[in-house]
Amino acid sequence: MSQSLRPYLQCVRSSLTAALSLSNFASQASERHNVPEIEAASSPEVILNPLTVSRNENERVYIEPSINSVRISINIKQADEIEHILVHKFTRFLTQRAESFYIMRRKPVKGYDISFLVTNFHTEEMLKHKLVDFIIQFMEEVDKEISEMKLFLNARARFVAESFLTPFD
Amino acid sequence: MLLLDYQNVLIESLLRDRFNGGASANIDQVVSDFDGVTFHISTPESKTKILVSLRIKCYQELVQYGAQSVLEREYGPYIVSPESGYDFSVQVDLEDLPADQEGKDDLVRRISLLKRNAMAAPFEQAFDEFHQLSEEASKYTSESAPQGIAEGGETRAIHYREEEAIYVKASHDRVTVIFSTIFREETDRIFGKVFLQEFVDARRRAIQNAPQVLFRNEPPLELQGFPGVSTSTNGEVGYITFVLFPRHLSKQRRDEVISHIQTFRDYFHYHIKASKAFIHSRMRKRTADFLQVLRRARPEAEEKERKTASGRTFKVQA
Repeated sequence: MSQSLRPYLQCVRSSLTAALSLSNFASQASERHNVPEIEAASSPEVILNPLTVSRNENERVYIEPSINSVRISINIKQADEIEHILVHKFTRFLTQRAESFYIMRRKPVKGYDISFLVTNFHTEEMLKHKLVDFIIQFMEEVDKEISEMKLFLNARARFVAESFLTPFD
Repeated sequence: MLLLDYQNVLIESLLRDRFNGGASANIDQVVSDFDGVTFHISTPESKTKILVSLRIKCYQELVQYGAQSVLEREYGPYIVSPESGYDFSVQVDLEDLPADQEGKDDLVRRISLLKRNAMAAPFEQAFDEFHQLSEEASKYTSESAPQGIAEGGETRAIHYREEEAIYVKASHDRVTVIFSTIFREETDRIFGKVFLQEFVDARRRAIQNAPQVLFRNEPPLELQGFPGVSTSTNGEVGYITFVLFPRHLSKQRRDEVISHIQTFRDYFHYHIKASKAFIHSRMRKRTADFLQVLRRARPEAEEKERKTASGRTFKVQA
């Protein structure tokens, strides 16, 4: 792990752990409803201050806490158009399977590549520190995966080009 | 299976089977090949007379560039008048085959290369023109050469697909083959760019004698002002130029070079698709890994002993 990645992930980890203190909170706007307040945004008094943790201008995490839900949005590193297209493909692939990921949002928040929404029901059912672990591990592996795919693509392209041109030699 | 075959494997295996005494039966098969080419193999008259017909989109253009003579050279006595709906037909009589095994194999090979031979005409013409031009050019120094020789011959266009074409142009010191190819999708465009960059670099790195490869999104200078060249600049169309040098154009190598360069477009797109498929399966695997991690967050549901109202318990019988 590189020198600047460790403090970045550490910071995200502590911020997330702090933000994930959620309690059950029924909607104030409509009776017998219980909705994630960060999504409904109908009662400003239960929404807390959002927070950005950023490693550089391309890699950042945006945490929006509220009384019963937290929205976490991640910007994945994209150095060039190949990485851009790979990130786009990968996040689309993941969000199409959002159902099985419980906490994944089908659509990222504007300006980010992928978003998670954790509600008090999730923290009640699942272990909080493991949820944080998941998000941290996700951030680590997604970068690794993207650069590996890019390397693979380049290696394959080189091999393919050389084998086509060799018969001319 | 890295490189594509030049011949049509289905035709090859079918004919080989019949020529070597396979059970005779009626055949009526439509075979598709790359670039929208269709073959029809049938036995219209009797079981021993096999008719192979070819339909190719740009047949008119190919005839204009001398396809007829190339095909006559290759298939001579076997040519029959084209079946309706097709452009070119050959007929083989199983009772009138070459006597020796070698002759039979050669015939199978030639017929399965039908598409390659039809498409080869413009290339052969350009290669011949190159030899002619280079002979003429050798009479002059580079300064005093008349206009025509320095510029080279006409550009031959083969519109072999709906929106894509091959352009072949001979000059006194090289033959230029330009492929125009279209990328419908952003992903294809970017993957294509990565691949083409490697084609461009391969010569510098490893294979010094390979043809020079150039890539650009606008029509190259050779095609400027050429009728039918799309001038759109939305980046969908790419132009790949192969510069074949005299060493590729020698009599011994030309057949191999023509066959090989024809497969470029299909080879290139095939590998783009293969990479996409590989990346997809990779993402699938990685997603499964992520799910595994998330599943760890869910505590194991403890199996409690269930009791009935009267206080008795259920036991699972072993």
